[in-house]
Amino acid sequence: MARTAAVANFKPKLNHNGLKCEDTEKNGYRSRKEKNGPGTGFASRQHQQESFEQAPMYVAVMTYLGFGIVTLFGYLRDFLRAVGLEKCNLAQEREEQKDFVPLYQDFENFYTRNLYMRVRDNWNRPICTLPGPVFDLMERVSDDYNWTFRFTGRAIHNVINMGSYNYLGFAENRADFLQTVADTMHQYGPGVCSTRQEMGNLRIHEELEELVADFLGVESSMIFGMGFATNSMNIPALVGKGCLILSDELNHTSLILGARLSGATIRVFKHNNMHSLEKMLKEAVCSGQPRTHRPWRKILIMVEGIYSMEGSVVRLPEVIALKKKYKAYLYLDEAHSIGAVGPSGRGVTELFNVNIDDVDVMMGTFTKSFGASGGYIAGKKELVDYLRSHSHSAVYATAMTPSVTEQIIRAMKCIMGKDSSTEGIRRIRQLAENTRYFRARLKEMGFIIYGNDDSPVVPLLLYMPGKVVAFAREMLDRKIGVVVVGFPATPITEARARFCVSAAHTRAMLDQVLHHLNEVGDLLCLKFSRRKHFSPPDLCDETDFELDS
Amino acid sequence: MALGDCWKQLCWFYYQYLLVTALYMLEPWERTVFNSLLISVAGMAVYTGYVFMPQHIMAILHYFEVVQ
Repeated sequence: MARTAAVANFKPKLNHNGLKCEDTEKNGYRSRKEKNGPGTGFASRQHQQESFEQAPMYVAVMTYLGFGIVTLFGYLRDFLRAVGLEKCNLAQEREEQKDFVPLYQDFENFYTRNLYMRVRDNWNRPICTLPGPVFDLMERVSDDYNWTFRFTGRAIHNVINMGSYNYLGFAENRADFLQTVADTMHQYGPGVCSTRQEMGNLRIHEELEELVADFLGVESSMIFGMGFATNSMNIPALVGKGCLILSDELNHTSLILGARLSGATIRVFKHNNMHSLEKMLKEAVCSGQPRTHRPWRKILIMVEGIYSMEGSVVRLPEVIALKKKYKAYLYLDEAHSIGAVGPSGRGVTELFNVNIDDVDVMMGTFTKSFGASGGYIAGKKELVDYLRSHSHSAVYATAMTPSVTEQIIRAMKCIMGKDSSTEGIRRIRQLAENTRYFRARLKEMGFIIYGNDDSPVVPLLLYMPGKVVAFAREMLDRKIGVVVVGFPATPITEARARFCVSAAHTRAMLDQVLHHLNEVGDLLCLKFSRRKHFSPPDLCDETDFELDS
Repeated sequence: MALGDCWKQLCWFYYQYLLVTALYMLEPWERTVFNSLLISVAGMAVYTGYVFMPQHIMAILHYFEVVQ
């Protein structure tokens, strides 16, 4: 299809060193010679393989059937509650308010009462140790079908953790690694008690900002205490009324919230679909603002590096080509991809070997690969200086805690190799290897997996609501902790289990997980894939694109 | 033995039925309600077939002039 052609055309010419040479041209995109980071002997990815296989028709029918039956029983239970034959355990309006606008009649409340509450023992499970590659869970039981829980007092030990965003394994408590963090805690104390603009700008914050700018290869950066607030509070500072935001269909809630708060016009293009984006850009440039037809003040394209529900990677070179042609700005949210992809962990810009200056606003979070909390925005010095005074987060939000800042500093130094050890690069390579192995084995077994082969986020499609719940319970019985997601975080027919591979997982752990997945897949009949199984990817250099349009 | 295996296989089929129809998420009394509804409807269909099938077959054969 056109999508295949677009991907296949992008094969940059390589000179004898394997570095990109000068004259690659596609859609006005010209690549320059890049200075590659440490540990890279090869150039950009020559192909990206993403697959979103569709399940057979009977699966969709059964999914709808399951949802239909549970919805009917939901209506029955609501009726029993309304009549009074059954006690209502959730919030209800008071007698005097029965004539007012109803509060709990919408679909979301219906769904929560009748579907989520029945099976909510699979979510919000309390853990008792740090979320490393293995952890302990508290055992809890329910006597009244998950309306209330009680703890038995025991813990489930050594559960393999396939759900935490611990990509490089920095969620650890080894004393020798954490010595600097403990010292910083002793020196500065736990709290900052002020915003960055008032009294909360510590030297350690400036040190981290310089380090982040150095890591990414940009002029300057700014850090914030909360990753979600980095998006939602800074987009309003960058765009406003009269601007246009072109945002991907599957963007994260923080991006959507920031876009809505800014007051700009928002248009959504289909996920990773360059034709849809180009059509919208063309139309925006030609027609201008809706009624007055004045030109837009700014056009901002918002994309993410790795989309966490799909595991797909943005087509960065093509987006950059489009942005240059139509003179738009690019906002890249690398929450999941910073530290996790790329030969030296610099994210999708390194994965595709694009020029850093082409991305106008680079945003990322420290929650995933760095084992801390917070976010950053990086780019040109003028942009960051503007944000320092105009961002809501900078002015009103408390600054990042010093010990968390030190954790990020030590993690980033480890990745960059500045602590004079090879631990960082070892972890990055281990993550890449684990990702490839895990994805290849799952595909071989016959599960439907979404996403790009490089992304450490692996969604495994389960589709039917009964199977989603049974899967989570079965895996916990086998001491593997997984995260299952259903509606409303995913489309209603595409419930999935999402695995996050970590560099801290050993091959033995992955093998154990895969063995149990195989058994559970056979027990629950989850192997829907109809593709022919081909040999492991490192043996063949010609990929076959099995993309469904 | 064979009966044990047969019973295990039947249990597995019942489990699959529970998963596909999402009865797995419902409480036991709801399962009972749904199963009895399903069995009664299926039972009525079988009974109707039993009562009317001979007449229908005779009518078809009469139409095709196989039997007078």
